[in-house]
Amino acid sequence: MAYSEKVIDHYENPRNVGKMDAQDPDVGTGMVGAPACGDVMRLQIKVNEQGVIEDAKFKTYGCGSAIASSSLATEWMKGKTLDEAETIKNTQLAEELALPPVKIHCSVLAEDAIKAAVRDYKQKKGLL
Amino acid sequence: MGSPCHFALFDLQPDFRVDLDLLAARYRELARHVHPDRFADAAEREQRLALEQSAQLNEAYQVLRSAPQRARYLLTLRGAELPLEVTVQDGEFLLQQMHWREELEDLQDSADLAGVASFKRRLKAAQDELNESFAVCWDDPQQREQAERLMRRMQFLDKLSFEVRQLEERLDD
Repeated sequence: MAYSEKVIDHYENPRNVGKMDAQDPDVGTGMVGAPACGDVMRLQIKVNEQGVIEDAKFKTYGCGSAIASSSLATEWMKGKTLDEAETIKNTQLAEELALPPVKIHCSVLAEDAIKAAVRDYKQKKGLL
Repeated sequence: MGSPCHFALFDLQPDFRVDLDLLAARYRELARHVHPDRFADAAEREQRLALEQSAQLNEAYQVLRSAPQRARYLLTLRGAELPLEVTVQDGEFLLQQMHWREELEDLQDSADLAGVASFKRRLKAAQDELNESFAVCWDDPQQREQAERLMRRMQFLDKLSFEVRQLEERLDD
């Protein structure tokens, strides 16, 4: 299958690959997986006192589309408030990356990872 | 489901524990009977029917011989249809998956064939354990949730073992 140039760019130069200390009270971790394709995605955010996402990191084992979706998600999350980050939709990621229909679920996985990371952070802070 | 049960096609009771050799033998036997070549001179309607049966048989065989597919099929027989593509948040398990993927990456970088062999053994042991856990709980409605979780884990490990095989092929070259 032909990947779009944006997918290839994110695949070859993934942004924000890395790991944060999941025990850090200012860090939220989202861990999600897609069983059928075996993809595993970890997305982490570091949130400052103003509730703004200062930094985001990810690590994804999966296809190019899954890596690109999570890479783009971390780019978009940085500088956003938690509430803003939670409004990021998989359709936006898929559109930006020009994902073909069979790869839409990769962007769904990234959206679910965003939500899981935000929820983990809010749980830690007693905001839920 | 309009078509007959996959298990019934092979004269088997729906169960997770399947004698794969027996399944393969029955598949070969049945496949011979409906092979399109046998119907080369038959009426068009019969040809079409044989083709349909042959496709049905192949589909059923592919599902039953694979542990995760067989597991998903059994759960579907007992309850609602389960989507293929879902997001799971099975924390501990996903963490372990991540470690295994990292390890596999290292093995690839170091082209460590002995390491790959050992990895395969551990993966096989984990699959056997998972299969065993599923076999004892899938038919219990009280444990449906657990059975679904185990089936999803099987899917992950199946994909992982596929990647191990691919790595082996690359290292063999």
